Amino acid sequence: MPIRLSLYFFIGLMSLFILGPLLWLAVHAFATNWTYPNLLPDSLTFHWWSKVFLDSALGTAIKNSLIISPIVVLLSMVICLPAAYAAGRLNYFGRKTFLIGMFAANSFPKIGLFAAIATLYYALNLMGTFVGVVIIQLLGTIIYMTWIPAAAFAAIPRNLEEAARDAGASKIRTFFTITLRLAMPGILVAIVMSFLASFDEAQGSYLVGAPSIYTMPTEMYSLVQNYPIQVAAVFSLLLAFPSVLLIGIARKHIIGGQLAEGFQIK
Amino acid sequence: MFKNKFVKALVAAASIALALGTTVPSSHAANTTIQVYLSADTNIQDLWVKTLVPAFKTQFPGYDVNVTFDLHGDHDAQETAKITAAAVLHKNPGVDLIDGGFVTTLGAAGLLYRPTAGLLPNIKDVNKAVLTAGKGGIPYRGSSVLLAYNSKNVQNPPKTLDDLLAWIKANPGKFTYNAPNGGGSGYAFVQTVVDKYLSDADRTTLVQTASPDLQAKWAQGLETLRQLNKYTYGLNGTYPANNAETLKDLATGLVDMGSVWSDQFASAIKAGTMPSYIKVTQISNPSFTGGASYLGIPNSSQNKVGARLLANWVLSPVAQNLIVGGTLNGFPVIPLSKLDPVITAAFTGVDIQHLRAGYLSANANDLKSKWASIVPGK
Amino acid sequence: MALPPVLLVVAFVGLPILIGFTFSFGFTSGPNRVVSLIGQQIHTKDHWWGTFAAYRDVIHDARFAGDLILTLVVTAISTSLVLVMSLGIGVYQRMVGGRIATIMSTLTLVPLFVPVVISSWAIHTFYSGDGFMRTVFHHVGINFPTLTSTTSAIVIGTIWTSLPFAILMVTSGFQSIPDALIETAQDAGAGFFRIVRTVLIPLALTPIIIAATFTAIGILGSFTIPYFLGPNQPTMLGVEISNFFGSYNRPQQSIVMAFIVFMAASGIAVAYIWANVRSAKQSGRI
Repeated sequence: MPIRLSLYFFIGLMSLFILGPLLWLAVHAFATNWTYPNLLPDSLTFHWWSKVFLDSALGTAIKNSLIISPIVVLLSMVICLPAAYAAGRLNYFGRKTFLIGMFAANSFPKIGLFAAIATLYYALNLMGTFVGVVIIQLLGTIIYMTWIPAAAFAAIPRNLEEAARDAGASKIRTFFTITLRLAMPGILVAIVMSFLASFDEAQGSYLVGAPSIYTMPTEMYSLVQNYPIQVAAVFSLLLAFPSVLLIGIARKHIIGGQLAEGFQIK
Repeated sequence: MFKNKFVKALVAAASIALALGTTVPSSHAANTTIQVYLSADTNIQDLWVKTLVPAFKTQFPGYDVNVTFDLHGDHDAQETAKITAAAVLHKNPGVDLIDGGFVTTLGAAGLLYRPTAGLLPNIKDVNKAVLTAGKGGIPYRGSSVLLAYNSKNVQNPPKTLDDLLAWIKANPGKFTYNAPNGGGSGYAFVQTVVDKYLSDADRTTLVQTASPDLQAKWAQGLETLRQLNKYTYGLNGTYPANNAETLKDLATGLVDMGSVWSDQFASAIKAGTMPSYIKVTQISNPSFTGGASYLGIPNSSQNKVGARLLANWVLSPVAQNLIVGGTLNGFPVIPLSKLDPVITAAFTGVDIQHLRAGYLSANANDLKSKWASIVPGK
Repeated sequence: MALPPVLLVVAFVGLPILIGFTFSFGFTSGPNRVVSLIGQQIHTKDHWWGTFAAYRDVIHDARFAGDLILTLVVTAISTSLVLVMSLGIGVYQRMVGGRIATIMSTLTLVPLFVPVVISSWAIHTFYSGDGFMRTVFHHVGINFPTLTSTTSAIVIGTIWTSLPFAILMVTSGFQSIPDALIETAQDAGAGFFRIVRTVLIPLALTPIIIAATFTAIGILGSFTIPYFLGPNQPTMLGVEISNFFGSYNRPQQSIVMAFIVFMAASGIAVAYIWANVRSAKQSGRI
């Protein structure tokens, strides 16, 4: 019994810790002023919502982001999934180095690289181009699109594939109906994380894209810093709603359990 | 099979890249578009977008002006990297005219077009000292830092720096200034306290040349600032990050006094985000610093002609009247005698030649760094 | 097959990192002309292999020691707490299950989709001088401390943003453990905590270690959370790197610090691989 009680207490605390800030902020989205120490705002308004929705630059920025990020994720899948398959199934020389390399490259603080990246992009004529922004966002997704699918591919039992081959299925059919299907939860998580990495990427996109291409984070941060807290609250609601929806849909695959099975580098 | 697939993929990627790359429209159509880059707070954005650019286009209808705005200079690092890379590689930096804090740094590195009266006639009206201090930048407006105070709680604001320091100690938690690396209003407070212990000659040297040896004399001022840690807002040596936060703390009543930019303050009052009972005053002995904001035309700009035209226009009485008389309440860089008498009559600012100047950017950066290692949290 | 991402990373990330590395040792010509032009306190090489001057500058700077210690301590504390919390939720989901568990493990994923700037503001308003905590406790008569601009706020913020991915990994790891194993242990008379300690955690060790590694490396280099929530000084190295690069105009020293963060992160990655190989050897998989 005491174990149950402490678990419930723990759950309650966690809910407050995680959801508390978001909910508190969410109420601000409708508040005019909020004088301390009142438990409720002074009055309610939709004023801040119109501030956000009527911002012309934001619409274009969101449109850019919604075009660029899916392209980035698709490209990332094309480029990284074969490598992830190889890293997960084949035992080639330098496999561990490959995975560590992808990992390490992602953890270098970007600000130190601006001058070098600017020089590189100018030399390649990529500055201010659509392709340039795609590439710089792509770099941030590689870590997710290699490690997570690699583990997912590694977890698939060989005997299942062998059984399918024995039953007469071709290599391609085996791949699509057995391998890919079983690795799908892992690939789904990789897609979600990559999409987020690309969508939220602010620093590199600004360096390469401004002023011709602005992505959503730049405009959003500008609005959030420019106006009182209420505008940040509006964004938190705008961004949290679709996410809860997405999680609800994907939850079955993600929490289902197949994801983390066999996450190893042998 | 491996090699074949790989080569095919590479070719496919390359052709996509080529196709996409070449379909992006060039962002500079001929020479009638001027790209302006602003790195500042929103009142400057309003100045350009709502006032200066429309007036310029009325006078020069053949030109188009695109304004890019970066709030609080968040992306100064990226922009500086971009402009310098473009200069070294002889590529298009994407800007023709810059208004931002990093202009003097670019100028000191020799990356800006140096203004001469030949190609920029109106420059001859600008105060020489201010012009030289810009190291290749073109000064176009001035402002100074002032002491803002809540007139409901503070009936007699301090008149000198010593009075102010005494007031801060007598009223713990009621004064704040932002960290100098985050905004000029906090920086001005720091430099002013440090200047208290320096001679006039030393102060002038620090404004004009990089002087690492003189910096040892900052120790006394920095120690005074460190001792203020238990009296400033928070009482624990933490400071707001930038200009906007100091203004917010004043407006919400968290503090009764703080250092603010004259133009930001005036804009906030006009926009209603600052209550009218918050007032400003200047202290003396020494006074808070002020100075010019500089425009810069990168050497690698693709439209230097247009940029010079715009810069020259900004220095003309027409534009200077707008800067002084509009919502900005900026200080002009040309003599007051050249401005509209109605506007000069209502002008309560200071003549730019008499503003106490901020240090040369190299010294300023060093001061920001020294402050950060000696003062906060100690 | 593995070549395309490697080429991409080598070209667009590896090369700039290499160039930055030479710059930190004083190679100021060639691709480093750009940044050497505008920076202050740049040291140019005085031997064929470069110079240690920039490294000396950083190590002797009083701020660096404080920042490094703070960064490592915050990373250690936050990662540990994240692990404890995600283990708690994972265990609850696995052993108790039910509606509440499902709702919990779903809702705790929400911060994943909130950009870090918004998260920082949310946490700031929650714990600030006029925030939720102080408001609620004020009505109960307690003077809750203002947590913003403190190291505790950095810990809270980094835990908050790192939880979703860790919970994802850990709950998934526990879910893949067959019921049969747990039931057998229960039949043999093992208590709740014994089962957790000897069955659940060892079998889910790899995802747990992945969660820990990704979390630690993410917190190590974080910028936004400490910038918005932490004190001016000492601060996390991510903020200091930005200060040195931007405000103090010392790009060379900034790059030196970036490499130190990079080496710490790589160290964690190597530790992960070692732990992984060792656990695989022990369980007989290798």
